[in-house]
Amino acid sequence: MSLHGGIPRAIAADVKRGERLEYWTLGWMVSVVLVMWLVMGSSQAMKAAVIEDLLSLVPAIVFLLSVHWERRRPNRRFPFGYRRANSLAFLVAATALLSVGGFLAYESVTTLIRQEHPTVGGITLFGHTIWLGWLMIAALAYSVVPPIILGHMKQPVAERICDKVLHTDALMQKADWQTGLAGIAGIIGIGLGWWWADATAALFISLSIVKDAIGALEKAVSELLDGTPRALDSNRLSDDAERLIAALKARFENADVRLRETGRYIAAEVDCAPPKDIPTANELMGDDLAWRLASLSFRPEPADAGP
Amino acid sequence: MGSMWRNQGDGTAFAGMMRHRLNLLFLLPALAGCDALPRDASGATERIERSGEMRIAVLPGTPDAAPALALLHAYAAQHDARLAMVAVHGEHAPHWLEDGKVDAIVGHFAKASPWQAHISLSKPVARAEPKNSKQPVLRIARRNGENAFILATDRAVAETAE
Repeated sequence: MSLHGGIPRAIAADVKRGERLEYWTLGWMVSVVLVMWLVMGSSQAMKAAVIEDLLSLVPAIVFLLSVHWERRRPNRRFPFGYRRANSLAFLVAATALLSVGGFLAYESVTTLIRQEHPTVGGITLFGHTIWLGWLMIAALAYSVVPPIILGHMKQPVAERICDKVLHTDALMQKADWQTGLAGIAGIIGIGLGWWWADATAALFISLSIVKDAIGALEKAVSELLDGTPRALDSNRLSDDAERLIAALKARFENADVRLRETGRYIAAEVDCAPPKDIPTANELMGDDLAWRLASLSFRPEPADAGP
Repeated sequence: MGSMWRNQGDGTAFAGMMRHRLNLLFLLPALAGCDALPRDASGATERIERSGEMRIAVLPGTPDAAPALALLHAYAAQHDARLAMVAVHGEHAPHWLEDGKVDAIVGHFAKASPWQAHISLSKPVARAEPKNSKQPVLRIARRNGENAFILATDRAVAETAE
């Protein structure tokens, strides 16, 4: 690992685990898309679910790309390395999540306004014509299982490696299984003759997805604008950033302290002259999170130093 | 549904989720067992039973309508109803079907018909699906959402194909 490139040893195993989980996600979700595509028939709701599942691959793909770039060493053209690829990936993942929520909301609202009565007819298999709804329910039930398991496994890894892309992907998985359950409820609703059930269930789910996506977008934009590091699950300042600010202020006589985040790494700037004894990352962040402090800089001259 | 789970704590949310899934697991076999699904969204079958007539429109220029009419007649007979022919032509026919003024249309439609999103087209009656998806063949058009009627006619059409 160099100053601006590579993965710190402390989190290397967890990052590898995150990558493995994302490869599993791609494999399982592609199988889900195939199964859904086979049974979607002319159902608009199922088509929307397939499109939603395809979009849900985006966070997994951008996570893998961003980790690949994070490992690259800095060079003359990119002297600060490629760690900000993670911030960019976070913006892309959050946008994908918003697209899924927005698309689902649009589909639901237009279905309700136009009062479209979804048609789910029969399908002939091995000489027997059965209601296609049963196959759709089976496909949707299958589509629910991988996201529940994978999302549950990703969440703690995302917290340990402070990765907002992986966290957003876990949110996307939550969107996937919620949409799947809403879809099952919707198909049963269609079967019971309640044409509005499918769209209404999807509308409730879409509002929850949009809320998560807007939260993620706010954090992604603040990260790209060099905002103080935010928590994984909300737009408040992260606990380790708050602790670091307090530790630096206590150590340097209440000097102004500015933190920003590049991907998962924090850069700190203290508005005072460089001290003789510069504290180590372990002293400031603790042993577990020392890897997160990538740089600590001081001003060549204090702000109030005049001629 | 989703927002309800979101507002709970993590553990409670997971427990709630599992409870919903278990409920669904118990619900599905119950629904499958009693053969209750699907039903018609606008109650076409109930109306046919109540009124004793099934309103059919045969599009002009459909000389081979007999097999489609035969299976519709059989469906009507199962529900103690008779076929009532409705005279309608041109684009009025699919609009009337959308509005529920007729229960089914018998006519020639292509698989890739521009009407396919607005009405529910059956597979070809008494013949295989042509390779050219734009070739009109004899089909039964049903009102979208009348899924019990649609499934019943799909089954009857599948039997004519055999």
